[in-house]
Amino acid sequence: MKTFTKSALFLLWLIPMSFFAQSTVTGTVTDAGNGQPIPGVNIIVKESTNGTSSDFDGNYTLNNVNDGDIITFSYVGFTPQEVVYSGQGTIDIVLQEDAAELEQVVLIGYGASRKKDLTGSVALVTSEDFNAGNNVTAENLFTGRVAGVNINTNGGPAGNSQIRIRGGASLNASNDPLIVIDGLPVNDPSDDDNGSRSILSAINPNDIESFSVLKDASSAAIYGNRGANGVIIITTKKGKKNLQVSLDTQTSVTTVDNKVDVFSGDEYRALIAENFPNRVSELGTANTDWQDEIYRDAFSSQHNLSVSGSILQILPTRVSVNRSDQEGLRKTSKFERTTTSLSLNPRLFNNHLKIDVNANLNFEKNRFAEGVERDAITFDPTQPVLDPTSQYGGFFEYTDATTGIAIPNVQRNPVANLLQTRNIANVRRYYGNAKFDYQLHFLPDVRAVLNLGIDVSETSRFQEKPENAATGFNATNGDFLGSKTDTEFDTENRLLDAYFIYNKTFGSVNLETTAGYSYQKFEAEEFKTEEQRDPTRVPEVFIPADEVLIAYFARANLKINDKYFLTGSIRRDGSSKFGEDNRWGYFPAASFGWQISEENFLKNSSTLSNLRLRLGYGVTGQQGGIAADRYLERYSGSNQNTQYILNGQVVNIVQAQFRNEDIEWEKITEYNVGLDYGFFNDRISGSVDVFRKESNDLLSEAPVPDGVNFSNQGLQNIGKLTTEGIEFSIGADIVRNENVNWNVSYNVSYLNQEINELAFGQDILLGGIDGGTGNNIQIRRQGEAPLSFFTFAQVYDSNGRPIEGAYADLTGDGVVDNNDRYVSGKTNPDFLMGLQSRVDFYNFDFSFNLRAVIGNEVYNNVASANAQTGNLFRNVFSNAPTSLLETNFRSTPDVIQSDYYVEDASFVRMDNITLGYTLRDVMKGVSSLRLWAGVQNAFIITDYSGLDPEIQNDGRDQSIFPRGRTFLLGLNYKY
Amino acid sequence: MKLYRSFLYAFLFIGLFASCEGDLDIELRDDDDLLADDVFNEPGGYLRAIGGVYGNLSVVGLADPGTSNLSGIDAGTGNYIRGLFNLQSLSTDEVIWNFENDPGIRQIQRNSWDANNVIVLGFWARATFEISLANEFLRQTTDAKLDERGEDAATRAEVRTFRAEARVLRALANYHLLDLFSRAPFATENDPVGFTRVPEIAGQELFEYIESELLAADADLLDVAPGNASQYGRANKGVAKMILAKLYLNAEVYLGEGNDRFADCLRVCEEIINSGYSLTPNYLNNFNADNNTNGAQNEIIFPVIADGVSVRNFGGAAIIIQGQQNANGAFQPTPQSFGVGGFGNLFRVRRELSEVFANDAIFANDQRNTLVTEDVPSDPESTDAPVPRDINIGADLLDTSSGFLMAKYSNITSAGQPGQDPTFVDTDFPLFRLADVYLMYAEAHLEGGGGSRTTALGYINDLRERAFGDASGNIADADLTLDFILDERARELHWEAHRRQDLIRFNRYTGGSYIWSFKGGPQNGSSISENFKLFPVPASSRSANPALGQNTGFE
Repeated sequence: MKTFTKSALFLLWLIPMSFFAQSTVTGTVTDAGNGQPIPGVNIIVKESTNGTSSDFDGNYTLNNVNDGDIITFSYVGFTPQEVVYSGQGTIDIVLQEDAAELEQVVLIGYGASRKKDLTGSVALVTSEDFNAGNNVTAENLFTGRVAGVNINTNGGPAGNSQIRIRGGASLNASNDPLIVIDGLPVNDPSDDDNGSRSILSAINPNDIESFSVLKDASSAAIYGNRGANGVIIITTKKGKKNLQVSLDTQTSVTTVDNKVDVFSGDEYRALIAENFPNRVSELGTANTDWQDEIYRDAFSSQHNLSVSGSILQILPTRVSVNRSDQEGLRKTSKFERTTTSLSLNPRLFNNHLKIDVNANLNFEKNRFAEGVERDAITFDPTQPVLDPTSQYGGFFEYTDATTGIAIPNVQRNPVANLLQTRNIANVRRYYGNAKFDYQLHFLPDVRAVLNLGIDVSETSRFQEKPENAATGFNATNGDFLGSKTDTEFDTENRLLDAYFIYNKTFGSVNLETTAGYSYQKFEAEEFKTEEQRDPTRVPEVFIPADEVLIAYFARANLKINDKYFLTGSIRRDGSSKFGEDNRWGYFPAASFGWQISEENFLKNSSTLSNLRLRLGYGVTGQQGGIAADRYLERYSGSNQNTQYILNGQVVNIVQAQFRNEDIEWEKITEYNVGLDYGFFNDRISGSVDVFRKESNDLLSEAPVPDGVNFSNQGLQNIGKLTTEGIEFSIGADIVRNENVNWNVSYNVSYLNQEINELAFGQDILLGGIDGGTGNNIQIRRQGEAPLSFFTFAQVYDSNGRPIEGAYADLTGDGVVDNNDRYVSGKTNPDFLMGLQSRVDFYNFDFSFNLRAVIGNEVYNNVASANAQTGNLFRNVFSNAPTSLLETNFRSTPDVIQSDYYVEDASFVRMDNITLGYTLRDVMKGVSSLRLWAGVQNAFIITDYSGLDPEIQNDGRDQSIFPRGRTFLLGLNYKY
Repeated sequence: MKLYRSFLYAFLFIGLFASCEGDLDIELRDDDDLLADDVFNEPGGYLRAIGGVYGNLSVVGLADPGTSNLSGIDAGTGNYIRGLFNLQSLSTDEVIWNFENDPGIRQIQRNSWDANNVIVLGFWARATFEISLANEFLRQTTDAKLDERGEDAATRAEVRTFRAEARVLRALANYHLLDLFSRAPFATENDPVGFTRVPEIAGQELFEYIESELLAADADLLDVAPGNASQYGRANKGVAKMILAKLYLNAEVYLGEGNDRFADCLRVCEEIINSGYSLTPNYLNNFNADNNTNGAQNEIIFPVIADGVSVRNFGGAAIIIQGQQNANGAFQPTPQSFGVGGFGNLFRVRRELSEVFANDAIFANDQRNTLVTEDVPSDPESTDAPVPRDINIGADLLDTSSGFLMAKYSNITSAGQPGQDPTFVDTDFPLFRLADVYLMYAEAHLEGGGGSRTTALGYINDLRERAFGDASGNIADADLTLDFILDERARELHWEAHRRQDLIRFNRYTGGSYIWSFKGGPQNGSSISENFKLFPVPASSRSANPALGQNTGFE
């Protein structure tokens, strides 16, 4: 029987060869959307090595076709078509843009790739999967959705996020990923002191089509000079052929969900009676909850209107306007944003020239509210907020009994501080790019791409306090001058990318090569008046050295039979931050993909629909986050306050500055092994990645020999850091039918970072804390994680109560000294998890996002610096966290370095729950109308005793802008 | 299809045009950022540069008083004088810092420091930075460099003086390193800037190097001219001699038993005394906001300058003045009484220093006795009786109700006006002053250095008459003993960063011959071992330069 089958197959195989003549077919491929021809379409005879591609007019000629052959027409972004050849002389094909397929196009830097062709570790999040809720800043659209990416957003309105991809790669230099919007790498996120809330706060989240997250070095190396911490590529929405109008509006209220537990007025009176009986008479009679007084219910709204369509049927255009008004929980704090965006996407010369112009003009107005939490936590609860006799605007302040003047170095009325301060920044930012993608007429296999980008931000900021503010200039000296400073801050970032792409199919082999050049320049300038009420201050202009980055890059992708994929790239990068001999670095990468499921032994499996192995290696460079001029023989001149007096005159002195002529690239080598899988026609799919990252020649602040340089420490390339991790993600369409859909996705990542080498093996103390001048609580030490907590081991009595000042003698040498400090925790978590679920049930939709961070510690500095009875009176009464009753600690210096305050900060947070109801075709002209309601930050489960375990301050909780809980109502309207 | 060709050409053109790698050579655009050549090609560049060498004694960085050019040490704590005060005064019976949660403080004031102590690191780094800056000045002002820049004779003459001053300032830093560490990195202007692991210079060699430098610089230095305001603050011949005198006074400590140089000390002291200085009639004028003009400029041999507007730091006299206040605002002294806003009560006087005044009722009339022994209501209307303070500091340092306070320094002028700024004082720190020379003369005489006993007694009584306003405090010939000198030095020079050196010279610092409160740790004090006569070379400095040795007991 077997023999018979084989023989039959063999005969069938011979039939076309022996009985049918081979012929040639020609035709034109056009885009169903606009009727334009599509050049570069892959046209292949299935299961053969015979193929071609369409020319610039969409025409093709395919030789050696036999009857019965199946010809496939495929092009990125379009649904492939198959035609059975049966002797036709001409086959014209109209390809449909495929929404599903479109999603699968991933931007990889200077080009795009089909998701299934990827060989590196790249995650794609498209608008369909974006998080619901009040996402004012773009990155929150995918918080928790990508394995290995941690997005920690602070609590202010449009709060800044700390984004870490695979934990970052550096100690002293930047750990922030590169963010690229439509090909334009935007300004370094660490430059957020320009009056904008964060790098992404000026961007309308509704304009975003997708995020590509390049996680491993094999994919990020194409951004060599700044790929070290991963790359987030943001694609904005483009103009479409058909008119579409979309209107979204939402409103929300945020309420305080948690406060630091401190004593109430009555409790405090009792406490003072016990600890300071002779001071009871100095207490007030009020019962003020100062934290209640500094917070409010914060109302917010967002409105978004976008229109896309084709002007005169030829110019695809999208216009959007967004208005966002966000109040912060902290009184007076506010974020107002208006964004306008225009996208023009003309296609000229039969699609040969594709022009994408993106222009954004955004206005951001921020009112900043100072972090008065520390004063609110410690302010005497027996005193009232208002004091009619006060000369400080009617606010209660601690004043000198005789002079009536505010006493220095005590808490200031936090409510007064908020209400009397106007700290407002107006930021105007315009950014955009123009991309010309031209497919050569005489050589359609080659495209020349030119991308010009610009990002300009202009900030004008002022801070003003009235004359009766106790926080005004010299107020403690009895002056009533108030305060005023003005700041202008301008940044500009210009980009030019030029590259060629050559794409050619040779039979079953497809080759795509890219080669190009990139130039980017960053400039900044700041003007500051300093304190205008201080007659001794004069305005200053600060101009940091420009940063220039120049790169040459090349990449080749080889696809064989759609089964084997090879990618290699190399980039030569120059940075103006390094001296002439050291400024160029080479950053190579190579990766390999194997579509195992296309192999014969799996091809017909009905269970396994996708199985793909990826191997990647790459080297990336790091130069972000360091000063630009350390290689120069540089002097600094003094400021007006740091001069010296010689010869009876004030001399603006100069001093030589630390220099290192040999400073060069920090280099990160990463290895990645990944497996993508899909079962049951990809109803269940996901991937597993294992990686190891070695950061070498770390840009470190390390000791220098004394007497021969101009500091005791300075930037040097010394040190090594290793990061290892595993990432796993799975998504499943659990129910999928006409009326009910339920899909769930889950991701988990494990991360382990270890410092392998530090300069001279020396520990470096860092992590300044409150409760003393110059105290550090963290350490960098070989063999430990970066940002490890370095404390003494608390000794407890038989009842489990900590004994004040009693630390374990870990060295066993009979004395407790600095050698007994040990590593008691670390700031970065072991595990990150995200779980998302969405159910569509007839017209209802219900979704939630759950996120967990596990295995990290936080140093509770709010408690360690305040929760001791010795602090209850220092110059004036001070409130304290009630946890002092658990410890009965008295003296801050005796306990501040105790591991008692290093707490487990693991948590599970319900980021968002949303319920929606959609009405379809309710009236003429409305294609859909969706009403929804949601809760953001619905709950958190944690053992952490402080306010919130999710903090940004490198794990040191020094009181935060609370996140609050947000209740939302929204409406989406589509025409 | 011509249009597409234009696109192609435009594309290529822009690509070429932008390909300018020369843009990677950045230019410094901020007026505060300069290249070395820019500094010295501008008029006044040499003054600005020598100003930088001086400035390091006062400012901690050129951006603002809170931003240091050193790392690993709090900006304010890393001030030169604050470091010197911490190592020379806080480590003795003179003073206690109330807040032991500030890192390193407990080890310093309880004599238990180790090679990782940040305050030790702070001073070591600041003093070696002074050496770096002086070396850089000498490197940039060689004859070859001056020729290159075509400087004229007047400039060359000015630069010659500056170069001599740079050597004195370098010698000053080396002297402090010798005194505190007995060793220093041997970095000179001949070493290239960068990461050279220069050899160490220690003990006798270091002593001789400092001595030879001071002697060599002398010829080019300015003469002593106390009345000349335009030369105030310069490291002139008097300053060089003062460092020499200190070197000779402590020679036995530095060089070992039997190697005393008291005769040299006495000789140099005479030269200083005869060079034109005079005591200011009011002792406290030395520590006032206008001590650069109120007469104290005739007494102060070397001031480290501070100015509320132009020369700001969180060290020097500022931190002392800010910290002298009574912790309880209801009592004197208030910050306002010192012309400042106050940082809270940082300092108290240890019992033993209080006793050099308190043990004899005669010192109630001594102007130098500014001890605050009772809590007097700050409200002038108050009728409450003053409450005496306990002379002892309690074991709990945060309880600041006991122990005497000090009111020696002030940011108020001799005319009673507060300084320009309530945070940053105008008071210059008197690093060296004539009264010290008088006491050194007497001590050198008693140690067999020659001179005249009458002269010595006369100098002591000059100081007494100034302090008491008349001869009521004068001592008799028989009172003039070495033990008396040690106590009188404490009365005259306390809180001026001399005490540790004095106690070591008198063999009262280590061991158990003299115990003071919190010495070695406990409230009542304890003996400490010999090795605490010195501070250890910071571990981080030794890691970066293994050529540096370590002192016994700290390896």
